[in-house]
Amino acid sequence: MADALDPAGAHAVIRPEAVRFISYAYEWSFGQLRDAALLTLEAQDAALAAGFTLRDASAYNVQFHGGRPILIDSLSFERATPGAPWIGYRQFCEHFLAPLALMAHRDVRCGLLLRDFLDGIPLDLAARLLPRRTLLDVGLASHIHAHARAQRRHAGSAASAARGPTMSPLRHAALIDSLRRTVARLRWEPAGTEWADYADHTSYDDAAARSKDELVRRYLEAAGGEIVWDLGANTGRHSAVAGRLGREVVAWDVDPAATERHYRAVRRDGLTNVLPLLVDLGNPSPGLGWAHEERRSFLDRADADTVIALALVHHLAISRNVPLPMLADLFARLAPNLIVEFVPKADPMVQRLLATRQDVFPDYTLEGFRTALGERFEVLEEAGIEGSERTILRLRRR
Amino acid sequence: MAYVLAYIDPGSGSLIIQAVVATVVAVPFFLRHQIARFVRVIRRRDDVSVADEPTNGTRSR
Repeated sequence: MADALDPAGAHAVIRPEAVRFISYAYEWSFGQLRDAALLTLEAQDAALAAGFTLRDASAYNVQFHGGRPILIDSLSFERATPGAPWIGYRQFCEHFLAPLALMAHRDVRCGLLLRDFLDGIPLDLAARLLPRRTLLDVGLASHIHAHARAQRRHAGSAASAARGPTMSPLRHAALIDSLRRTVARLRWEPAGTEWADYADHTSYDDAAARSKDELVRRYLEAAGGEIVWDLGANTGRHSAVAGRLGREVVAWDVDPAATERHYRAVRRDGLTNVLPLLVDLGNPSPGLGWAHEERRSFLDRADADTVIALALVHHLAISRNVPLPMLADLFARLAPNLIVEFVPKADPMVQRLLATRQDVFPDYTLEGFRTALGERFEVLEEAGIEGSERTILRLRRR
Repeated sequence: MAYVLAYIDPGSGSLIIQAVVATVVAVPFFLRHQIARFVRVIRRRDDVSVADEPTNGTRSR
């Protein structure tokens, strides 16, 4: 045992860096899944050139670390058998190509299918859900439509795998090239979802927005700690404030367009310590797979020092009917420090939420909010946001 | 094709379609690479002939 661990006798020593936060493909925006797919193909290409191959192509082998996707499963590489096909081909199509094609050509929300289909989206299902025009894309016609038909025709016939031509290095390279071109052609522009233009339509003027940024920055500094979870991060304005303070930020939002914009912004600005992810706080990622333990739940991964929840409470309390004490419970389970914004009923954004429904929220007042939080937290400081009736509170868990 | 004992189920239909698709896309892939190589060779030849031209002691590159 000691010999096996002696670096002097090793050909190479791999010293893995711990990934800060484990996220899953059903929590990624379109661009994140696309980048992860391209990374997997790049890895397979490099492996082939060195006489190796990836023995699987799981989306769960990719994680976001330091602002970019990385392959975390070193043991996926094995020596290639000359002439053998790529074993990971089917998995690549099910984990990456099918969801990306559905998101780009049908609806971006199809990405959430990955939550139900943990082994990837079955290709027969993808073929049925994709619009017929995808038959005109030679890549999708081959790797999804014809692929699904071949699976159906050869279901259960183990012997047929022995037929067919040898996969020469040229064929391998051409296959990866074809998959890469197919993925590269898949595009989705963030627009048309509920929140896509939200940042442009908020009720803040510039001065109020800057006053809010400054307040958030000051409260974050006062709260200390290293890890920040930004709930309802939208396109990441305040995640960036935390990011610039050097905090490790996990930025959650329910909207695929906002998350996509946020992801593009952090890549563009090189904010390597901010990770945008998708989650519906009303129905967050559960524990999935065997005994609920293969993929951990949202709450199970909570490790933040500070939660910031700005312009979020009214959406959960009014649109989602979440009672304020239950909201306080959730915050208390996530982190010891909380920076939260309260938007009163008089605010135009809340007026909009109440316009089409009965006001059954008598406790939805700043005083009621303080009382609800008081069970779990102690208010350390609070301040009004200039030019609005909104308040930001900084609290510590009791 | 070599007999396959895989870590995950490669799927017999998937193996067959992979071989078919790879064979088909190998043709344009091969041609593209040959053309790219040809273009590179031509360019290099042009570069060399430009560099070989007599200059007045100044070279732009």
